[in-house]
Amino acid sequence: MTDIIQFHDVSHRYEGGHDVLSHVSFSVKQGEMVFLTGASGAGKSTILRLVALIARATRGQVHVHGQTLASVKPRHIPAYRQRLGLVFQDFNLLNDRTVFDNVALPLIIRGHSHRDVGRQVRAALDQVDLLNKEKVYPLTLSGGEQQRVGIARAVVTKPDLILADEPTGNLDPEMAHEVMRIFERFNQVGVSVLVATHAIDLIKAMPHRMIHLEHGRISMKVPLSVRHAGDFPYA
Amino acid sequence: MPRAAASSDRRQTFFSRLLEEHARVFFFSLGKLWQNPAGTLLTALVIGITLALPAGLHALINNVDKLSYSWEGAAQSSLFLKDSVSAERGKDLARELNARPGVARTTYISRDQALAEFRKLSGFGEALDILDNNPLPAVITVTPMHKQSRDEINALVTDLSNLPEVDMAKLDQKWLERLYGIIDLLQRGVMVIAVLLSLAVIVTVANTIRLDIQARREEIIVMKLIGAPNSFIRRPFLYTGLWYGFTGSVVALIFVGVGMAALTGPVQNLAGLYESNFSLSGLSFFAVLQVFGAGIVLGWLGAFLTVSRHLSKIEPH
Repeated sequence: MTDIIQFHDVSHRYEGGHDVLSHVSFSVKQGEMVFLTGASGAGKSTILRLVALIARATRGQVHVHGQTLASVKPRHIPAYRQRLGLVFQDFNLLNDRTVFDNVALPLIIRGHSHRDVGRQVRAALDQVDLLNKEKVYPLTLSGGEQQRVGIARAVVTKPDLILADEPTGNLDPEMAHEVMRIFERFNQVGVSVLVATHAIDLIKAMPHRMIHLEHGRISMKVPLSVRHAGDFPYA
Repeated sequence: MPRAAASSDRRQTFFSRLLEEHARVFFFSLGKLWQNPAGTLLTALVIGITLALPAGLHALINNVDKLSYSWEGAAQSSLFLKDSVSAERGKDLARELNARPGVARTTYISRDQALAEFRKLSGFGEALDILDNNPLPAVITVTPMHKQSRDEINALVTDLSNLPEVDMAKLDQKWLERLYGIIDLLQRGVMVIAVLLSLAVIVTVANTIRLDIQARREEIIVMKLIGAPNSFIRRPFLYTGLWYGFTGSVVALIFVGVGMAALTGPVQNLAGLYESNFSLSGLSFFAVLQVFGAGIVLGWLGAFLTVSRHLSKIEPH
């Protein structure tokens, strides 16, 4: 299987600041689901920001879809991001538009026809069990529902890579669990998923690879074999 | 698996999809303005007043211009014929001149007619009786056609004065030339005002859109995060500028219309006192189009300038 994400000795430094990421190397295979764990400030979000080209590596190489990200010009960033599905901690929904319009946005950006948009938006909402909420505004929904709208928006264009930054950070445990299960469902149909989270309890029972960060460095990689054996390093 | 859904889209041509997208943004931006009627109306009012000033002045000057045309008859030239020219030849000459390009009308006034007229109008009739013969020459009055430049009219009069039958030609239009001069000056003035106020419209729209961009900063960041190119994010703002310009034009035309209506009564009254049937005419169809065109182009331009400047500064981080 080919790698969808590769980090080769990547460092990232804020201008005039310290390294928030130093000498990080790892890869995510096509169709794999991986958790990035660690305390806040450990560099989880930075990794996702580098993959989404919200930030650029100061040193080292990042490859996504086999493409060297350092060579992506600023004007090609929108087209690059269109191949990703991004899910955020605070949902980042547009609150003045209906659920339907929020989920439709990535399709409209890509210039899909009217008919096509309706069909695909309903398919995406169906996958997150929100088909009956398409006409309501996000703020009338619960946090878990809003995050599911966010996921529907991320998957409506059928990306082969989903990046989620603390997707359950603002949710109660039950909703958080539901959201993680949705990510697993997409992973089961072949979508690669990279989730940054510090909710160790939540992912304990989920058999996926983990990459643990401390102070901008990878301190532990927990391979699938270990996870399958039910051995959990933080217990 | 990711691109399968796009296949049905490919059947649609690039052009029709672009059209659909523009139609969507066209109504979307109108809907956004509709949601904030007070703010929209205020901006439209400012643009309207700004556009109404040059449009109104333009209309007034056109009316003065029109009025001056109705005095054009006064710009006639008088050809004094030599005494040796017979009355028959004089009448023929008047007919010949009438056929010349640039000549609207000629009238032959025989020496006898001239005398009779002078007798009637001057009050020196008795004095004339002392004279043995009629001292007045025969005259052909020539009215040049409208819409000729002063140079053309002057050239015509010079030509006419060189005719063998003509003793002297006199063109009495000094006062009309002065009037034209004043109108020219006013027209130029209106143009300068129009240019300055166009800048004011651009600045007004630019500032409104700038505030709009700031208010929708979060939305712009989200759009960029999910892969929207700058052209996509820019489009609704450009249409918003266009709508501001359009609504401003409507307001401007209403102002000009109301202003004209208010002046119509007094103008007719005054014209009546001068025994003229002059009446104010409003903006022509072309001028109305110009107001709309100016509003829309300036609104779009104002939006374009701000959006281009501010959009690249807003990036997710």
